[in-house]
Formats: sequence, structure tokens, C-alpha cells
Amino acid sequence: MTTYEFQARPDNATPWAVRSNRTNAVLTLASIIPAALSYFIGSAFALPGAVTLLVVFLPIQIVAGIFATGITKGAHRIADAVLAIVISFAVFMVAILLGSLLFSVIKNGIGTLTVPFLSQNNVYISSTTSMDYGGAAHAVLGSVLIVGLTTIVTVPLGIAVAVFLTETDSKLTGLVRFITQSMSGLPSIVSGLFVYAAFVLTGIADQAGWLGSLALMFLMLPTVSRMAEEVLKLVPGDIRNAALALGAPRRSAFMQVILPAARTGIITATLLGLARVIGETAPLIVTTIPGNETNANLFFGPISTLPTYIYKFVSDISETSQHRAWGAALELLIIVGILFAAARILGKQKVK
Amino acid sequence: MSDNFTRVDLKAAKIRREDRVFFGIARAAAMFSLVTVLLIFVYLAYRSQNTFRTQGFSFITGSTWDSNEGTYQLAPMLIGSLVIALIALVIAIPSSIAVAYFIEFMAPLRLKKIATTIVDLLAAMPSIIIGLWGMYVFSPTAEGWAKLLNQHFGVIPLFENTTGNFLRSPFIGGWILAIMMIPIITSVSREVMSRVDKELINAATALGANEFATARRVIVPTAKGGILGGILLGLGRGIGETIAILYTLNLIFEINILHPLENKGGAVASLIAARFGEAPDDEISALLAAGVVLFLLTLIVNMIASGIVQRAEKRMAS
Repeated sequence: MTTYEFQARPDNATPWAVRSNRTNAVLTLASIIPAALSYFIGSAFALPGAVTLLVVFLPIQIVAGIFATGITKGAHRIADAVLAIVISFAVFMVAILLGSLLFSVIKNGIGTLTVPFLSQNNVYISSTTSMDYGGAAHAVLGSVLIVGLTTIVTVPLGIAVAVFLTETDSKLTGLVRFITQSMSGLPSIVSGLFVYAAFVLTGIADQAGWLGSLALMFLMLPTVSRMAEEVLKLVPGDIRNAALALGAPRRSAFMQVILPAARTGIITATLLGLARVIGETAPLIVTTIPGNETNANLFFGPISTLPTYIYKFVSDISETSQHRAWGAALELLIIVGILFAAARILGKQKVK
Repeated sequence: MSDNFTRVDLKAAKIRREDRVFFGIARAAAMFSLVTVLLIFVYLAYRSQNTFRTQGFSFITGSTWDSNEGTYQLAPMLIGSLVIALIALVIAIPSSIAVAYFIEFMAPLRLKKIATTIVDLLAAMPSIIIGLWGMYVFSPTAEGWAKLLNQHFGVIPLFENTTGNFLRSPFIGGWILAIMMIPIITSVSREVMSRVDKELINAATALGANEFATARRVIVPTAKGGILGGILLGLGRGIGETIAILYTLNLIFEINILHPLENKGGAVASLIAARFGEAPDDEISALLAAGVVLFLLTLIVNMIASGIVQRAEKRMAS
């Protein structure tokens, strides 16, 4: 067996990456001066941070960038520098906003996630009860049950729609694809309102968990059917043709060859659909009554879910209620994050 | 995309018997989703016909909403929805395109992967969490920005505020919508930008184009259709947004287009959520009518969006 000795890369291996001292000096100055200058101007005029960044820092940095690029790379590259500065600035601002969103949920919610909060329900809890009692366990259960029922119904339905779209040749294929895609824009409140008007107002059923599931189904179906269609299309046509050539009926070819091949993709589609509906609030406040007791019956009685639990406590200004709302928000965020991470990990395993 | 396998023509007489059931189920499911959309629309329209009949055209144009008088007119909410959507688009479009360009063309590979995941996660962010953050964390900050705008540019009518209250204004509602839309638009735009033919970009570079020229003349024109589709998808989601807007915007029945800093705004979806609990029968009918209008609005936006995206994908695939 041959052994290889490690050899360091020669210093002159990448001549284009070598910068002259003058270039380095100019670039360093161009990144220090604007920051320092806008810091002094900002504190001298006592400007708020966001204003300093936008009105003082950005123009100075652009001017500095123009000069620095003009000196080091030539006039040809000036537009690039401006583009890079403006885009980086916009990305920075967006990152701060979205970062603040994630950070505040974690910061405000983390203290609430105690054993009682994770394990108890909301019976006998008022807005003055201390945080040692009461929690959102019943809401987690409710969310899991309602979304679970939605999934059990929606996923087979979505796959069946995808089969129609990929395996058959009908005049309606285009129309069905178009309508299911536009259905993904159905406002969640309208979906809830439809179920409310069709079942509760007509006296067919009282507000209960299964009506929530029904409202969520209309929201999840487009996501699942569209992604399932894309996954089924990715299955190589050859193995489909091979199964058919062996004399298999289309049904067996689909159930025994195509569906197993597309399995991970369909699970990913399901998880993403779940992540989308588990945080839906508007349809649930219309179709269910949030309760305090633990209720595992989807067909009768008040049932609480994480979004409606948050909704209930947000409107209460007492401090413990707000803690409870943030805590439940963090729980919800964690659940969405887990669903999402699972979808990512599965999505990386390519179709075999 | 051309399929390399044969599709089954459902009209053909030769379908095997065991396949009849299989395709029957698929067909039934497809018809079910087709009918559902129509059913939702027809049923809501049927239940709300009372309102459309008694209020007539003024349901869309008038601005009184009073359950004692039985007058229900939606204009301030409808216009309010459009105003906050417009503010949101002004903020979200440049930011999203910038973030998408950054992720796709400027970020190092590892950052690119992380950023893509985070953006996709944020696109699935429950709106109630955005509402909670918007009410307690963002609103006080944005109130400060609004005050500054008013202080320095108050002469311009757009930044006037005669109410003295800067919270719960369309300005803040628009920002909240923008924060919901940015991940959606970014996600679609990045996807489309990643499909721009690398040969085209290399060709532009070889001809001596700098990055700016490549972005302006090659990347943006090629990805234009997809980006527009993404914007419309975000817009559709934004118009239908309920809870986050309910927390951060005052719903007032007074048309307010030109004073986004005043705490008078409207949003159709939030109105439905706010009113339906205590509404008498005729107001329920009016809310259902509002639902019909909202559904029509988002349906149109989404149909245009999916049409544009499909066409863009087809063009880029060829």
C-alpha cells in the first residue's frame, strides 16, 4: 500500500487571491470609517439605531464602497460594490427583524416551560393563579388529535388526487391541477366560516374538534396533493414501464412499485402540510370552543388547541396570562421546528 | 416536461377491470377537490344572499357597519386590506429579492444551506406567533419609527397624524404583513433564481459583464416570471391573514387611504374573526358575504399567481 505524505499548498497556488497591501489598507479603511463615522454622528444627534443605520450609515458606506472599489478594482466594478452593499444591508435588516421574532419567542417562552406547564391542563386557572399551577397539556393533546384526524383523511385523498394528475389522461387534468393550486390560497378564516355556516348554523352539528379537522383539511389538501404530484413525477418512468410490461395492473404497479419508491417524498409532503396547518388559528376559533378540561373526544364538547390556547391568553393583560401565551407559542414553534427538521432530513434521502 | 410513460385515457374502453376501481377512486378524489372549491363558494354565496339583496351594491361601496340599524357595508375593511397589502408589498418586494439574491449568489455554501432552511421554516411560521410578537415586541418599536416619520415629514399629507396615537395603524399592520410575506416571496424567488441557467451567467461574465449587469440583464429578466408569481402568492396569503392583523391593527369603519400612520385601519379577514362571536343573524349573513368577497379576491390573485408560475417554470425548463 502506498502512503501519501501531506504536502502544503504552495503560497502562489492562487495568484488571484493575493491582495496587495494597498488594496488591504483601502478595504479596511472603507469598512471601518463609515461605521465609526455613523456611530459618532448617531450619538452626537442622539438618533435611534434604525434611523442611524438607514439615513447615516448606508449612504456613507455606499460612498466609501464606491471610492474603495474605484481605487482597487477600477471603475468597471463600482456598480458591483454598490449592489453588494445595498443587498447586504437589506439582508441585515431582514435578519434583524426575523431574528427578533425567533429570539423573543424563545426568550419569553423558555421560562414558562416547566413541568406543571407541560403536564397540566387549565381547570381552575384564573389570570391571577401562579405559574406553579396549570398548563397547556390539554391544548397539545387537542392539537395533536385535531391535526391527526385531518392528516388521516387528507393524505390518502391528496395522494389519490396526485394519482389522477400523474397517471391519467383526461380533459379535466389541467382544470383539477389549476383549481387545487388556487385552493392553496383559500383564506383560513373563510374555510372555518364555511364549516361554521354549513354545520353549526344549520344545526347539523355543534362546535367540536372534528369540525376543526374538516376546516383544516381544506387548507392541507392543496399542499399535500401538489407535493405528492411532484414526487410521483420524479419516480423514473422506466420502473413504472417495467412493472406494466410484466403484466401488472396499474393498481399493483402503483401500490407495489411507484408508491414505495416515492415513500420518503410523500412523508416529507405530509410533514410540511402538517407544519402549515398545526399553527392555524382562525379556522379553529370559529369551529371549536376552547375548553379548560382535557378532552380527547373529537366529536363532543369544548376542545382546546395550542393556537386557540394562545388566542385565549393573549387578550388577557395579566402577567401570568402573557407568560402562558409565550410558553404555548414556544411549544408551537418547537413542534413546527421538529416537523420541519424531520421533513428536511427525510427529504435529503433521494428516491431509491 | 415530457413524460416517458403512457398515461391512461379514462375514456378508453380497454381499462382492466381491477384498474376501474383504482382509477375510480383517483377520479373521485379529484372531483371531490374540484367540487369542494365550487361548493364552498356557492354555499357561502347562497347563505349570504340576504345581505347582497338588502345592501345591494353599497355593500362594497358604503362605509357603515351597524347591527342595530341592520346596515352592513364593507368598503373601509376592503380598502384597509388593500392598503396594508400595498404597504407590505412596498417593504417586502425589494427585501425578498435582496435576500434571495444574497442566498443564491453571494452567501458561502454553508450559510446558503442554513439560510434556505430558516427561510423555509419562517414561511411556515404560525401567524398567531407573529401576532404575539407583533403586539408586544414589534409594535412599540414601529411606533417610534412612525413618530419619527411624522415629526420630520409631517408636512407631507401621507405622514400626517391628527389622532396623536401611533399604535395599531395601517403602517404597523403593513409591516406585520411584510414580515409574513418576506419568507414566502424569498423562498419562491430563490428557487427560481437557482434555476437560472449557469451557462447564461458564465456567458455574461465571459463577455465582460460585471455582477451588477449580470443581475440586471440576465438573472432578473430570466427569473422575472417566477418572482412575480412568488409576490402574488405572498399577496394572496397576506390578504387572507386574520389573527396577526387582528392583534396589530385597529378596525375602524372609516375609509382611510392617505393617512397610514393614524390608528384607523381595516382588514376583511380580521373583521370576520372579530365580529362573528357576538353577531346576530343578519350580521352573520353579512360576515359570510364578506367571506365571499375575500375568497373571490384571493382566488383571483392565486389563479393569476399559479398561472404565472406554471408558465415561468415551463419556459425555464425548455
